[in-house]
Amino acid sequence: MKNIAYLFLAFVLIFSSCSEEEIPAQMTVELNFENTLNGKPLQLNSETFTLPSGEPFIAKKLKYYISNVVLTDTQSGAIYNVPNSYHLLGEDFKSTVELGMIPSANYDQITFSIGVDAEANAKTDQTGDLDPNNDMAWNWNSGYKFVVLEGEFTHKTTGERTGLVLHIGRNQNYKTVTQSLTGIRAGRAAQIQLKTVVDQLFLSPNALNASELPSTTIMGGELADKIGENYANGFITIE
Amino acid sequence: MKTSRLLVLALVWSFWSCQDENLLPESPVEVVPETFIPELSSSLQVGDFPQPERNPLSKEGVKLGKRLFFDPKLSANGKISCASCHLPSKAFTDGVALSKKGVSGNALHRHSSPLFNLAWHTTGLFWDGGANDLESLNFGPLTHPDEMAADLEEIVAYLIQDKTYPELFAQAFPKNPIQSATISRALSQYTRTLISQTSKYDDWKRGEATLNSLELQGYQLYQNHCSSCHQEGLFTDLDYHNNGLDLIYPDPPALEGLFLGRFRISFDSLDLGAYKTPSLRNVTLTAPYMHDGRFESLEEVLDHYQSGIQVNYSLAPQLKEGINLSPDERKALLSFLKTLQDDAFVLSHIQDSEK
Ligand code: HEC
Ligand code: HEC
Repeated sequence: MKNIAYLFLAFVLIFSSCSEEEIPAQMTVELNFENTLNGKPLQLNSETFTLPSGEPFIAKKLKYYISNVVLTDTQSGAIYNVPNSYHLLGEDFKSTVELGMIPSANYDQITFSIGVDAEANAKTDQTGDLDPNNDMAWNWNSGYKFVVLEGEFTHKTTGERTGLVLHIGRNQNYKTVTQSLTGIRAGRAAQIQLKTVVDQLFLSPNALNASELPSTTIMGGELADKIGENYANGFITIE
Repeated sequence: MKTSRLLVLALVWSFWSCQDENLLPESPVEVVPETFIPELSSSLQVGDFPQPERNPLSKEGVKLGKRLFFDPKLSANGKISCASCHLPSKAFTDGVALSKKGVSGNALHRHSSPLFNLAWHTTGLFWDGGANDLESLNFGPLTHPDEMAADLEEIVAYLIQDKTYPELFAQAFPKNPIQSATISRALSQYTRTLISQTSKYDDWKRGEATLNSLELQGYQLYQNHCSSCHQEGLFTDLDYHNNGLDLIYPDPPALEGLFLGRFRISFDSLDLGAYKTPSLRNVTLTAPYMHDGRFESLEEVLDHYQSGIQVNYSLAPQLKEGINLSPDERKALLSFLKTLQDDAFVLSHIQDSEK
């Protein structure tokens, strides 16, 4: 009888030591970004693309920050704030953000921001994706470029290949996006597919015609803020 | 007997199974850097010594920062250090209008700032205040092609394989690896310790020296005409003004608004052509003058204030009429400005740099 009690205790100990439920307490989540232009995957240094305003366009560089990712299960109210969430993505650069093991929930909403928040944008002696060796920190104006697109387009009137340089940053261009998610099950590894639509930088609400721009180098000022307004909606979307 | 052994086994397993992450070996006893606050003269007229919480001064950090400041190996061609453009003998400026010392050999667009009393520049660094703090600023000169043109990853690689640096970093930043952030923090600690507060003026203010009558007359003139911007103590209000150098400002797109002054940062039209008021401390050592080094002498500067002011929308209102000084008054003002020359500061840093 005493032996059986010991045995029982032993079993309890073994099973309670790592309490296991039906649904694992944690799950892995990964965000995958695909960059597109003209509805097809973007390729750098390729001659097969055009700008929304019609000019043939060769993209040379695309990089952007997303930050402060939050996953929400609107049914249960569970919210997961990704800690220290600053992610630099780009074409021929990183296209995946691994959130690692996070608390399980039926996440049906994602919120993130394009750019980095004012606090992180106030200094550049930072590490990880914010390390200034990533070529996204301005060196004359403390802070980060949020979205960088560089390339060459064929100017409509001059017919010449013209450099296009967009370096968009500054706190007013930090834009927060919320989107619905489907198909994520608590406890199961999840992959969230996102599409980055480069066209949207030029589309709405501020349609930009490359050949009519007062300057094709845009690194601040009114035009930069217009592009910021454009990327606030429809630039990065859930597929 | 058998079951109790099982129990022991179960117990052991239950502890072990869930705790393996906690079994990391204890880190060795940590060296704690020795933090300090520099002694400050009352004549600086500053309350405290501002520094960012994330990077307090320590003896070890300053020592490392000094070595980095004078090390040309940080640059792409191994020849340019911070001190190439910031010479201790010239209160840490370089004596030329627009330096061509950088790796590319191209002339810079702005005059090398003197470096002292930087801790109090909490309203921004660089002539237009574009850098929020020293920690963020340093990546500019380190990486700019016309300055040190370095790749930050290559700097880290160089420091890691060096004989001396790893130890210095471990002492200054025991919790961090060698990385761009700690490189910049060490440099900032060093530049924050460049404090000029031992001029004749400082001695006079503390009652340890006297000014002659000419100098005293100059002090009056300074107070009447200059102190609204070159405020006493630090001899700068650390604010931005258009002091009438130019009527219009070119804006070539490739230079990202470089000639627009503070406007480049604030996008406020009243800041067009405005620059941070430079300190008048050590001004006898820091020629040529203004953000582009356009004036070679203090005489030329006074000529500008007297008859060269360009009146436009953003001009500082107190300069509209110019500042008229008779030749005698000029002489007096210049002799007062000479009392702001801090030879002890310069000498100690020349010696310090040779150590
Ligand atoms: C090739 C010359 C050159 C080199 C090398 C150089 N600087 Fe400078 N420095 C300048 C110029 C020019 C400015 C003014 C730039 C501006 O305001 O736009 C400046 C400004 C500064 C300022 C701002 C001071 C103020 O009052 O706002 C600091 C701080 C500084 N430099 C530190 C450094 C450090 C640290 C290094 C080495 C990592 C360095 N510099 C290397 C030329 C140089
Ligand atoms: C309205 C504010 C203002 C007043 C008043 C003023 N200054 Fe200045 N001063 C400035 C600013 C701003 C600069 C830097 C301008 C630039 O570089 O574009 C400057 C630059 C200088 C410089 C160059 C320093 C250097 O290191 O390059 C000297 C010298 C100088 N002023 C002396 C004087 C004297 C002497 C007086 C009084 C007779 C005076 N200033 C009055 C704002 C002022």
